Amino acid sequence: MSRTPSIPLRTETPRAGEGDKVVVGVADLQVSRDPSKSIITYALGSCIGVTLYDPVAKVGGMLHFMLPESQVSTEKAAANPAMFGDLGMPILFDKVIAAGAKRERLIVCAAGGAEVLADDGHFRIGSRNRTVLRKILWKLNILLAADDTGGQHSRTMTLRLADGSIALRSQGKDSALWPR
Amino acid sequence: MAPLNDTIAALDRLPALPATSMRLISMLAGGGRDADLRDVECIVGHDEAVTAAVLRRANSAAFGMRGRIAGLGDAIRRLGTRELCRIALETQTSGMLANAGRSYGLRRGALSQSALGGAIAADQLARLHGANREVAFVAALLRDIGKLAIDAVAGPDALERIAAAADTRPFLAYEREAFGADHAALGAMLCERWSLPSEIVGAVRGHHEPPSNPAEPLTDVVHAADCIARWAGLGLGCDGLMYPFDAAARERLGLSRDALEAIVADVLAAIAPDHTAANSPLPLRRTA
Repeated sequence: MSRTPSIPLRTETPRAGEGDKVVVGVADLQVSRDPSKSIITYALGSCIGVTLYDPVAKVGGMLHFMLPESQVSTEKAAANPAMFGDLGMPILFDKVIAAGAKRERLIVCAAGGAEVLADDGHFRIGSRNRTVLRKILWKLNILLAADDTGGQHSRTMTLRLADGSIALRSQGKDSALWPR
Repeated sequence: MAPLNDTIAALDRLPALPATSMRLISMLAGGGRDADLRDVECIVGHDEAVTAAVLRRANSAAFGMRGRIAGLGDAIRRLGTRELCRIALETQTSGMLANAGRSYGLRRGALSQSALGGAIAADQLARLHGANREVAFVAALLRDIGKLAIDAVAGPDALERIAAAADTRPFLAYEREAFGADHAALGAMLCERWSLPSEIVGAVRGHHEPPSNPAEPLTDVVHAADCIARWAGLGLGCDGLMYPFDAAARERLGLSRDALEAIVADVLAAIAPDHTAANSPLPLRRTA
């Protein structure tokens, strides 16, 4: 069986000390088709981590967006669209498909969207991030396969490119988001 | 679980804020702009890490400089006293905080990044609300310094176990139960020991629970800056978002959702400039 060749995306370069991990920072997205790697993002709070994975092509990507809508800062949106859910999500889909995934095979999962304690409805960044996630998926006619969102805790999310499994770590505990 | 006496005793074992930082904070709190440039140059020149950071910043694109600046004197004159003091404080607190927050499950460097993010937010808010920008910057930079004391007394996984069993109370309540004092109060005690100005001590103490009738907007500003740093994804450990945004402080600051989100975006862009333009739309950039 031949090994899927790695597309040398600039963004695939692992950061120092991370070995086989491709790290997604805040307001960042990464795509890879190297099955020896995992894509990881640390400490999702009100931010949302979205993963796309094609189990046949073994291509996956992850976006870590921070705010729901780019209208609050067009300048920042132009410099880094991955900061915002409304711009980052379509780019993630485009990049994963350009790396060889088929849209109809994509498994989409999400985690994060936590809320600051006792938010009385004034800011609700976590909830609004969750809303924009669902709004865009609705427009694309794509269903979430699994999600773990809300609450007050932070989450670390890892997508394993060999099999598409997604692990979460929160408050010292590990759990599987996909497959359930 | 540690009784209060043990927690306070841990403060004695922590490294002191570098003497240069204390002198720079006094200068900044006293108005900064009037500080004698030669005094600042002398203070900065004695610290290699600070000197390197000053030269790096003076030569950075952010300052739009043409031609390289090699000497400290030139760099200081180009940057100005205020920027210089800030760089020195950022560098020195970053050194102290680099390994801090382990007990909260934070990775190396996460707390120093969050300190700087909060300081940038506090500076913007202080400008909008007429607070002293220098004092707000320093207070926000030091706001979580008390986490060093919690690290010193918390057993392995202690905070993660507490967080996993937490209900809907603010995380400070659990810290007080477990250690006799929360990280905000411990941070204020440290700042007092370092003889920092009382307004900085008060803002560090109140950065999660601002007083209800403040005479000055400083503590509200540092409180909001802390929330903004969290929304920018900075400094999130097992305590996550278990800190409320005080509704009265929000009202006093008159902070709209759009204004707040614009500051969240500014903070992240300032902290993680390497992501800027890294996520451009197609076509994909290839290296080979």
